[in-house]
Amino acid sequence: MHDNGGSDPRRFEALVMPHLDAGYNLARWLTRDVHDAEDVVQDACVRAIRYAATLRRDDARAWFLAIVRNAFYDWLARNRPAEVVHDDDAIDAAVDDAAVDPARAAERIADLRDLADAVAALPLQFREVLILRELEELSYKEIARVAAIPVGTVMSRLARARALLRRSPLLSVVTRPMTGSGR
Amino acid sequence: MKCKDAVRLIDAAGDGEARRLDAHSLKRHLATCRDCAARSAAAAALSARLRAELPRHPAPDALRARSRDLFATMQAAPRAAPRWPWFAGGVAAGCAATLVAWFVGTAAIDMRDNADVAVEAVTSHVRATLGNHLIQVASSDQHTVKPWLSARLDYSPPVPDMRADGFTLVGGRVDYLDGRPVATLVYRIRDHMIDVYVRPQLPRHAPPALTTLRGFNVAHASGADMDWLAVSDLSADALAAFADALAHDAAQR
Repeated sequence: MHDNGGSDPRRFEALVMPHLDAGYNLARWLTRDVHDAEDVVQDACVRAIRYAATLRRDDARAWFLAIVRNAFYDWLARNRPAEVVHDDDAIDAAVDDAAVDPARAAERIADLRDLADAVAALPLQFREVLILRELEELSYKEIARVAAIPVGTVMSRLARARALLRRSPLLSVVTRPMTGSGR
Repeated sequence: MKCKDAVRLIDAAGDGEARRLDAHSLKRHLATCRDCAARSAAAAALSARLRAELPRHPAPDALRARSRDLFATMQAAPRAAPRWPWFAGGVAAGCAATLVAWFVGTAAIDMRDNADVAVEAVTSHVRATLGNHLIQVASSDQHTVKPWLSARLDYSPPVPDMRADGFTLVGGRVDYLDGRPVATLVYRIRDHMIDVYVRPQLPRHAPPALTTLRGFNVAHASGADMDWLAVSDLSADALAAFADALAHDAAQR
């Protein structure tokens, strides 16, 4: 079922360890919690060994990030099932970038004191693509692979994430109430 | 180019993902449209601020060390016995030999599965103890732990009270073993924590009663139609006795 294919675990250490920071950073932004992020990454390391066969040689970072993301969603379903949201149409309706006055949007960004808090408050699906793009600097294609969504969806989610940030003082209007600890 | 198209392109262009021709048209549009130029500037400003201001969280040293340890644990796992050479040999040697080989091959599969499960159990135990996530439901009351677990699994694990033997129930959690969610009972005796993985008994499955991996002991017992897999740094004898007592106690009910 999960054959290691005769691979050498030392190979995993060499493959995974260089991307542990990226994996932890993603987990940290997704879970918004230090300890939960550690659990998710630890789980991802175990899975990395099992999913060795799915590794493309050229792309260990995106491969590991995808595993971290999967580990995170399993963790989420187990620990905070209330946060698993499938419906982003509502958010979509609330965010029409073209309707935002560009001058006022620029002002709002300038006003925004803690951008990190605004990002942490973004709905999950938007937060993950934004972090993958802005912090991990993955291409749309890589993000699509990591998040298992089409490139078109990557683009629309990124656009919505950014539009939400631009109208950030209104973020609370479209964000579900936060559950649990978070930050 | 219309503003509607430009708005759609601004992000992609900023991310370096717009096709060259599109990027060119956008540039020309921005030179003539103040609104879109402002949008583009706002997009660039947001991106720059995100990159400058969002904290990048590096993996904590403890996590790094633990991950290394995990890879080392995997490395220490016993290698699977090759099974196909047996099988191929059996075919060549005729029907009787094939039958023999089939049994041996099956045994090898079982051996491998059991070794995998033991490694997984130890890994999971180590992960839980180091990560301080041993317990999702903290209770010494079996009548609290059992329903909590039953609600999260497709079976209802027995939760024996072992206080008479000196083992205190501390709580439980749902963990993953062999690709399936499994009930995990946590007991304590003196300074030793014991994880007990309880799952419905699998047919054709006779794990060794006792294994030692990386200094942890893994004891197996069967009872009440369940497999009981206890993992701890407790001494091998004591752990094996505990696993038997658990299975026996559960079967009594």
